[in-house]
Amino acid sequence: MQAQQIAVTVPTVTVRDSVAHAVRLMALRRLPGMIVVDDRGRPRTVLPGTQVLRMAVPDSYRADRALARAIDEAHADHYWDELGDLTVGDCLHREPARVVTVSLDGTLLEVAALMAGQRSPLVAVVDRAGVLVGAITLERVIAEFAVAHPDV
Amino acid sequence: MSAIAALVIFVVAFFFIATEKIDKVKVVLVAGAVMLVLGFAPGADVWFSQHAGIDWEVIFLLLGMMIIVGVLKQTGLFDYLAIWSAKRSGGKPYRLMVMLMLITAVASPFLDNVTTIMLVAPVTVVVCNRLHIPAQPYLIAEILASNIGGAATLIGDPPNIIIGSRAGLTFTDFLVHMAPIVVVIFVVFVLLTRVLFRKSFRYNPEHVNAVLALQERRAITDVRLLTRCLVVLGLVVVAFSLHSVLHIDPSVVAMVGAGVMLLVSRMDVTEVLNEVEWPTLVFFMGLFVMVSGLAHTGVISTFGEWVIGQVDGNFFGAATALLFGSAVLGAFFDNIPYVATMAPVVEGLVAEVPDARIGQALWWAFALGADFGGNGTAVAASANVVAIGIAARTGHRISFWQFTRYGIIVTIMSCLIAWLYIWLRYFL
Repeated sequence: MQAQQIAVTVPTVTVRDSVAHAVRLMALRRLPGMIVVDDRGRPRTVLPGTQVLRMAVPDSYRADRALARAIDEAHADHYWDELGDLTVGDCLHREPARVVTVSLDGTLLEVAALMAGQRSPLVAVVDRAGVLVGAITLERVIAEFAVAHPDV
Repeated sequence: MSAIAALVIFVVAFFFIATEKIDKVKVVLVAGAVMLVLGFAPGADVWFSQHAGIDWEVIFLLLGMMIIVGVLKQTGLFDYLAIWSAKRSGGKPYRLMVMLMLITAVASPFLDNVTTIMLVAPVTVVVCNRLHIPAQPYLIAEILASNIGGAATLIGDPPNIIIGSRAGLTFTDFLVHMAPIVVVIFVVFVLLTRVLFRKSFRYNPEHVNAVLALQERRAITDVRLLTRCLVVLGLVVVAFSLHSVLHIDPSVVAMVGAGVMLLVSRMDVTEVLNEVEWPTLVFFMGLFVMVSGLAHTGVISTFGEWVIGQVDGNFFGAATALLFGSAVLGAFFDNIPYVATMAPVVEGLVAEVPDARIGQALWWAFALGADFGGNGTAVAASANVVAIGIAARTGHRISFWQFTRYGIIVTIMSCLIAWLYIWLRYFL
C-alpha cells in the first residue's frame, strides 16, 4: 500500500490566515491537525491539533499555568477573545518548521514511523516538486491496523 | 599587533551584540573561538583561571539561582501576590501601579530581573485588560522598578554578580552599601511615577468587578511545596549573608540551595532544568573568553593605565566618571558585556587607591551606574527586552521611545541621587 492510496484531500492554511480561522477549520472538518502551505502549495509545516490549540492560547497562560488557574470561569470560557487578529505566521515565526511529509510512493510503515517519530497525527503527502497533494490522518493509519487484525 | 587584532575582534563582536543583528550567543561563541584559535586567550587560563578566564563563580551562581527560581515560579506565589495586590488596590490605577512596583522591587533583589518581570508582567496585562486601561505604563513602571530593586543585592542583577566576584565583595557588602541607597531611590521613583504617568490614571470603576473576579487562591495549588521553597530560599539568603562567618562562596551556596530545592520539591529534574536559561550561561562564558583575549594581549592593561593616568589621584572624579559613564554606556549597550569588559579595568584602578574604603567606593559607583543604566533605554537590560516582548505579544506594544523617554528621566534621577550618596558616604 502506498501513501497516495490512503491520502485524502484536506483544507490548508497559509501564514497569512488568522489563528481563529485555522482553529475553526480544524474543528468544522474534524481534522487532527493542520497543514500550513506556502504560496506555491508546498507544506511549510505540519501542526498536530495540540500545536494549533497552542497558537490559540495566549503566551502568558501557556508559560504560567498558575495564572491560567487564577482566571475565573466566566472569562476562562472565552480565553480566545484575547487572540485578536493574530495570524498563523505570527505564531510560527519563532518555531522551527516541522515538515512531516512523505512522497506519493511512501509505504504504510514509512507513514506510521513518521507519525510516531514526529508525534504528528497528520502527514502531508507531496509530489516530486514538493507540492501538497493530500494528507494521511492517524485515524486512517490505525484503521488499516484494525482491518488487518479484526479478531484481536 | 595581537592587541590590535584582539581589539578588532572584540569591537566587531560588540557591534553585533549591541545591534542584535545576529544572536548574541552565536556572536560571543564565534568571537571567543577566534580568540582561542589565534592564541589571544590561552586555553589553560580560559578554563582554569577565575580572573583571567571564564569566571565559574559567576556561571555557577547564576545556574544555582536559575534552578531555585525555576522551582519557585511553579508555586504560583507571584501570581497570587500580584492578583491579591490588584484586588487590594480596588482597581485605582496609581495604587495598583505602586503595589505592582513594590512586588517587583522586593522580588528583584532575590530573583533575577528577567524572571521577576516574566512572573509579574502577564498578570499585569490581565488586570489592565479587565480594567480596560492601557498596560504600557504599568509594564514600564515594573521594568524600571525591577532594575532599581535588583541593584540592592549581589544576586539581584547580573552586573552585580560579575562585580562581586571580581572585587571579592560579599552579599552583606552589597546589602550594607547598595541596599540603603536603592531603597531611597525606589521611594523617590514611586513618587515620581505619580507625575510621570499622570495621564494614565483614568479608569472606569464599573470594570473593577472583573478584577475582583480573579481567583488568586487557585494560583497556589500546593501550599506545602510553597512553604518548602520559601524555607530553602530563606536559608540560601541567610547563607549568602553569613559569608564572612561561613566562608562559603556564593556559587556553592546557590548550587547547594538548588540541590536542596530539587530534593524538597520532588519535581522532575528535566522539567526544572528546562527553566534554566542555558543561552544566557553560554553567553557569559563566551563573554569571559573575549575579555580574557583582551586581557592577555594587553589591551585592558593599556586602557587601565590610561585611565589611571587620567584619574591622577582624583578618586572622587573617578567615581563620578564611573557612575555616569557606566550609566550612559550601560544604557546604550547591554550592561552585562559592558561590566564584564570594564571590571578588570576598574580592578586595576582600585589597586592604585591607597585607601581601601575609597577603593570600594569606586566599585559601588561602577555597580550603581551600570545597574541604573539598565533603565536608560528599551534595550539596556534583558528585563526591558523581555517585558517589551510580552507587551507586544499581548497587544500592548511599547515602542523604543515610549520606554526610553521615561527610562532616561528615571536613570538621571537615580544616578544623581546615587552620586550624592557616594559623595556623602565615602568622600566627604
